[in-house]
Amino acid sequence: MDAGRAGTGNVAIMNKIFNRGNASGIVTVVVLLLLWQVIASIKQTVYVPPVSTIFVTFIHEWFSPTFGQQAVPSLYRMAVGYFFASVIGISIGIVIGSFKRIYQLLDPVLQFWRAIPATAIIPVGILLIGIGDQMKMVVICFGAMWPILINTADGARLVPTERLDTARIFGLTPIETLLRVIVPSAAPMIAAGMRTGLSIAFIMIVVSEMIGSTDGLGYYILQAQRTFAIPEMYGGIGLLAILGYLLNVLFVSVERRVLAWHYGQSTRPA
Amino acid sequence: MQKKTSPINWSGFGFFLICVGFVEIFARLGWLTSYVPPPSQIFVALFQGLISGDISSQIGVTLSVYVRGLALASVLSIIIGILMGTYKPVFDALKIIVEFLRPVPSVAMIPLAILFFGLGATMRISVITYAAFWPLLINTIYGVRAIDPQALDVARNFGITGYEALWRVTLPSALASIATGFRVSATIALVVTITTELIAGNSGIGFYISQMEQANRLPPMYAAIILTGILGYLLNTLYFTLEHKIVFWTPAARERVT
Repeated sequence: MDAGRAGTGNVAIMNKIFNRGNASGIVTVVVLLLLWQVIASIKQTVYVPPVSTIFVTFIHEWFSPTFGQQAVPSLYRMAVGYFFASVIGISIGIVIGSFKRIYQLLDPVLQFWRAIPATAIIPVGILLIGIGDQMKMVVICFGAMWPILINTADGARLVPTERLDTARIFGLTPIETLLRVIVPSAAPMIAAGMRTGLSIAFIMIVVSEMIGSTDGLGYYILQAQRTFAIPEMYGGIGLLAILGYLLNVLFVSVERRVLAWHYGQSTRPA
Repeated sequence: MQKKTSPINWSGFGFFLICVGFVEIFARLGWLTSYVPPPSQIFVALFQGLISGDISSQIGVTLSVYVRGLALASVLSIIIGILMGTYKPVFDALKIIVEFLRPVPSVAMIPLAILFFGLGATMRISVITYAAFWPLLINTIYGVRAIDPQALDVARNFGITGYEALWRVTLPSALASIATGFRVSATIALVVTITTELIAGNSGIGFYISQMEQANRLPPMYAAIILTGILGYLLNTLYFTLEHKIVFWTPAARERVT
């Protein structure tokens, strides 16, 4: 996906635009929720239960062992898959990006794999590995790896030549050049790729659990819909939203800490 | 990226073919699991599927759903994005809702969509619209907000305001950002199209893939998966070319051309 290629500049500006607290927004949300509550209570449709019902179900379901049974497996699979995606993506990406020959050689292969929608790989994963935890981890890793790998390769490839020349003048060994010049230069691109990878990993876990699983959040939501446990379904979607939001916040705060030097350097007046 | 290496990357394609060749040999020798058929069989299956209509009819279904979802998302997100980018009260009022809904993974909406729309095309279109809505919305807001205030001042000096200013100042300057957002949205839309078909479709390439998987007919399954990749690649190239043709005046575009 090209999402990560945009770099980190837009993200910083968007965060600045979006991070201002305001009253009218809260009012809008409260009014909408109240409207939902009133209309749902009056009309009594099965498909749209009142907000209060969803809220009570949410508390009841997720502050109970259900969280351990459904949410923890999902998060665990995702963490393992994403970890390996990052490790493999970054290390192969650095190698590919550092050597022009290898980049040229592998480019068509990479483009080919990247073009295939990650979720289409899940049936193959089920065939090759079965529907266990392993399959999900592999599939998540596979899906999240491409944006990380390609962004890392681009980041490493596009290191300004002056920096490499300077490193050579100072007599840095190849390994030193790698660790002190290439990796730091590529770091913002790597971060952008990892961010895209994270959202893909999140999608992959939900989809793989919907297609072949006996537990996990994706399984839970689909099962709730099939058994007409409607408040549970809304609650599950809500939990996914909260988790997605928290993961993003966590990622951004880690990124800001690790790449503090980069943000300090590139704050341009917008 | 596609255009930059003007002489064709022969070594890369050679390497690609060598890889395929090795998989072919290993599969024929039985060194791989039986779940990986030789590439030649996949190729034949793809060819036959396209000729016989088994696969090609699914392409039509998938593309039609994809285009409708993407078009709906584009119209909605550009209109709302321009409103949010131009008028501060609108932005303030909707900001929190955007923040709430954006992190919901689109695929989590599939069960909800099934509930409301059943298993048909409408369900898929609704999920695709939802998924494709966000990147384009954010990019539109960003593009509208990043407009040079001087440009608007100049327009005002010339008596260009309101609707005309929108048409002649706001949109042209925001278009580059909108085009980028569109490309991201389009990529996501295709993935989501295939995914919804895979999970809960009753037609389309994704549905075909899951059917072939369950029937254990592996060459057609792999053929369809590869076809999704080809589709994605072609569509992306198409948008890339169009983007260069349509948005040619921004500094970034000019830089890319030279």
